[in-house]
Amino acid sequence: MDQFLQLIVAGLATGAIYALAAIGFTLVWQTSQTINFAQGEFVMLPAILVLVGTHAGLPVWAAFAVASIAFVLLFGFGFKRFLVEPMQRHGVLPLAIATMALSVLVKEAAKNGFSAEAQPFPSLVPDGMLSLWGAALSARDLAIVVVAVVAIVGLQLFITRTRTGRTMQATAQNPTVARILGIPVERMILLTFLINAVLALVASYLVSPVYLAKFSNGESIGLAAFIAAIVGGFNQIRGALAGGFLIGLIDNLTAAYVSSAYRTAVPLVVLVVVILVKPEGLLGRKEERTV
Amino acid sequence: MTPAGGTGQPILTLSGLVAGYGQMTILNGTSFSVPRGSITTVIGPNGAGKSTVFKTIFGLLPAREGTVVFDGRDVTNRKPRDLLEAGICYIPQGRNIFPELSVRHNIELGAVAAGRGITDMPQRIEAALDRFPALRQKADQQASTLSGGQQKQLEIVRGLLLDPRLILIDEPSIGLSPTMVAETFQILLEQRARGVSVLMIEQNARSALAMSDFGLVLELGRTRMFDDAAAILADPRVGQLFLGGSLEKAGEKTGAA
Repeated sequence: MDQFLQLIVAGLATGAIYALAAIGFTLVWQTSQTINFAQGEFVMLPAILVLVGTHAGLPVWAAFAVASIAFVLLFGFGFKRFLVEPMQRHGVLPLAIATMALSVLVKEAAKNGFSAEAQPFPSLVPDGMLSLWGAALSARDLAIVVVAVVAIVGLQLFITRTRTGRTMQATAQNPTVARILGIPVERMILLTFLINAVLALVASYLVSPVYLAKFSNGESIGLAAFIAAIVGGFNQIRGALAGGFLIGLIDNLTAAYVSSAYRTAVPLVVLVVVILVKPEGLLGRKEERTV
Repeated sequence: MTPAGGTGQPILTLSGLVAGYGQMTILNGTSFSVPRGSITTVIGPNGAGKSTVFKTIFGLLPAREGTVVFDGRDVTNRKPRDLLEAGICYIPQGRNIFPELSVRHNIELGAVAAGRGITDMPQRIEAALDRFPALRQKADQQASTLSGGQQKQLEIVRGLLLDPRLILIDEPSIGLSPTMVAETFQILLEQRARGVSVLMIEQNARSALAMSDFGLVLELGRTRMFDDAAAILADPRVGQLFLGGSLEKAGEKTGAA
């Protein structure tokens, strides 16, 4: 039972990371039909940028600040302006392929420009154990879950409770009508890209102390986030959230009870089952797009 | 917000409008005027360019040539936001709601283009909900739960939030029950009584013309007829047009554009 509780917490922590990435993925898809195959690299990179800063002699706080600003500018604004906008008019698929190219580019740049080895990353939370109901739980895992949940709840409140958030939803649900009502559609789309970058950044800073910062970290996270988004319904934030936690839990439980060698295969199995049984995703709605 | 005294000056004038999609030109020099404070119904066969005219007026499709003058001001190729601020609202064909937002939040988004002058928006939204009990009842539910007719009402209410002086409405009756059509037309009549001008496209031409002041027949992107609605309704050639024929009889084909 102790071990089971530990696994649940670890699974939720992993799931929280996936959920952050999957929600950003979903947001960007909703407003601009961008399938971002570089999403995993978006989670890998901010930590690397922080380490570049500290290695260059910046104090840790300054490295975090510079890396965060640079990342959001480049992979929020820059990503939309210089990759999505030029590719978008060619269709969903060419754009998706361009993001694949970006993922390779970012990964190799991190490897060649920084390090091919896993590097320790400063943790914002002390590494310790908390005792809860007789189980020793990792403080870091709990912190990951708490921070991620706070970020997601904050995002949800912004989207549903503020005028700007609802305007963003309107843009995602029906861009043609949004334009007719005078909604600044392009600005709303940019906002989703900035939010995506911030979510990736939070995920990066949470996951890197645990798994170390490495150029290849994005591979598994990107795949898991992609699957989580699809499993959750692809067009729903709460779907991406549920999908993320589900994949995270299954991931950790499989590693413990079945085999850690097969853990990466299990999300794919879940994906196949969901696609066969409920193609619109667990919480998804059927896409009705009229052009 | 009331029309300027002179009823002589039209609220909207199109002159030689040329527009289309890609290589295809739909409007070949469309010209007409919409009399102030009237309901004018545009009819014409499929492909005549009726919806294209609206899109071009509302800045969704660029005018390659020609001008759009609204209330004495050149508004050719202006952005929707500017046109909303100028006092035009556009209600396109079909369903134009945000299905997963609540009814109230859908209506609220009609105020995005409101200038700073408008400070009573919450009251306006409440008043709009009071006017339509069905919308009031579902105010906090997702708009997708509304019936087709209620969705149309929502779109109209949303369009009226900014007190437009000209309403462009495209096929409001499509897919609605006869009762709902009557209710929708009733709203437009109320607006006219307040001095608002309406330009409407309707396939349900007979009932639309019956409540209109003027009728306008568009064919191949050009104005073929413009007259009192009653005269258009009585014109035998119009009946023929709705049966799929052309305005000109086969024998006397001259230079149809």
